[in-house]
Amino acid sequence: MTREEILSELKAVISPYTTNKEMLAGIDDQTDLIKDLKINSANLVDIIIDAEAKYDIEIDYDSADKMVNVGTCIDVISEKLKEKI
Amino acid sequence: MTGTGNDIVSLGAINAARTNQYKFYSKILSDSEIPLYNEFNLAVIPFENFVWLLWSVKESAYKLLQRHEPALLFTPVKFVVKKLQIPENYAIVKFVANVEATGFENNSSINGLMSFGQHVLYSRSIIYRNLIVSVVSNHDSFENTCWGVKSIDDPEQENQSKEVRLFLLNRLKQIYGDFDFRIVKNPHGCPILLKETEETSIPVSLSHHENLIGYSFLKHD
Repeated sequence: MTREEILSELKAVISPYTTNKEMLAGIDDQTDLIKDLKINSANLVDIIIDAEAKYDIEIDYDSADKMVNVGTCIDVISEKLKEKI
Repeated sequence: MTGTGNDIVSLGAINAARTNQYKFYSKILSDSEIPLYNEFNLAVIPFENFVWLLWSVKESAYKLLQRHEPALLFTPVKFVVKKLQIPENYAIVKFVANVEATGFENNSSINGLMSFGQHVLYSRSIIYRNLIVSVVSNHDSFENTCWGVKSIDDPEQENQSKEVRLFLLNRLKQIYGDFDFRIVKNPHGCPILLKETEETSIPVSLSHHENLIGYSFLKHD
């Protein structure tokens, strides 16, 4: 999968946890999940679990703690997808 | 190093069924923490509330430490709760719109001991019917820790942010007088308290979740 494809799907994963839909529509690698999308930290675990289910991957805690912005989320998902091959 | 960190979990916003799945709670609890639920007679509270209790303690600890280590990342399983002391006949009470106190002497709190690397930290938590509030300190005495929780009408993020600052500033003015206090974020996102334009040495922590806001700070004599 390309980064663009993951970005597009990631929007759907994140969507239930942000009320800032305008910002969500225009997210890029630098968009911070908490500071920009105003996602409550308590929902970060939900996003990780939803990403695991969507891509059938397992995100260990060392990878999970890197997932602070959209770019690092895509990095982690890409890396885990490659490990599956 | 002195500091404070606080956190609030709105229990109305959590997904209890999801929280009770190992896949979910294993992202928050380390293997050594799961047995604490039975070991410390915490079965008087539902397991999902136990998970969010530990989350709130860990997030509070993260807030305390991140002020001193700005690059610190929040990895819940690396904050390890070792002990939790729940009072006998612990009763979960109703939250009545606004609670403010200094220390936890007059509140029935769950007292914790935790570690993160070489740091040893202490926690006080209260579980109300609809929320969990935690405050963490690097001292086992909370006699100088001021804290508060309040419910607000409008849970929009901008309003949470405005209301929590007002809530804290009102308490500071009650204690210190009507100074020109301001709360701003430092470049690492930590709240700092200014008196006029000078940064004070009073550590402050802010939290919000849904329609709940809260603060903690260390009172100086």
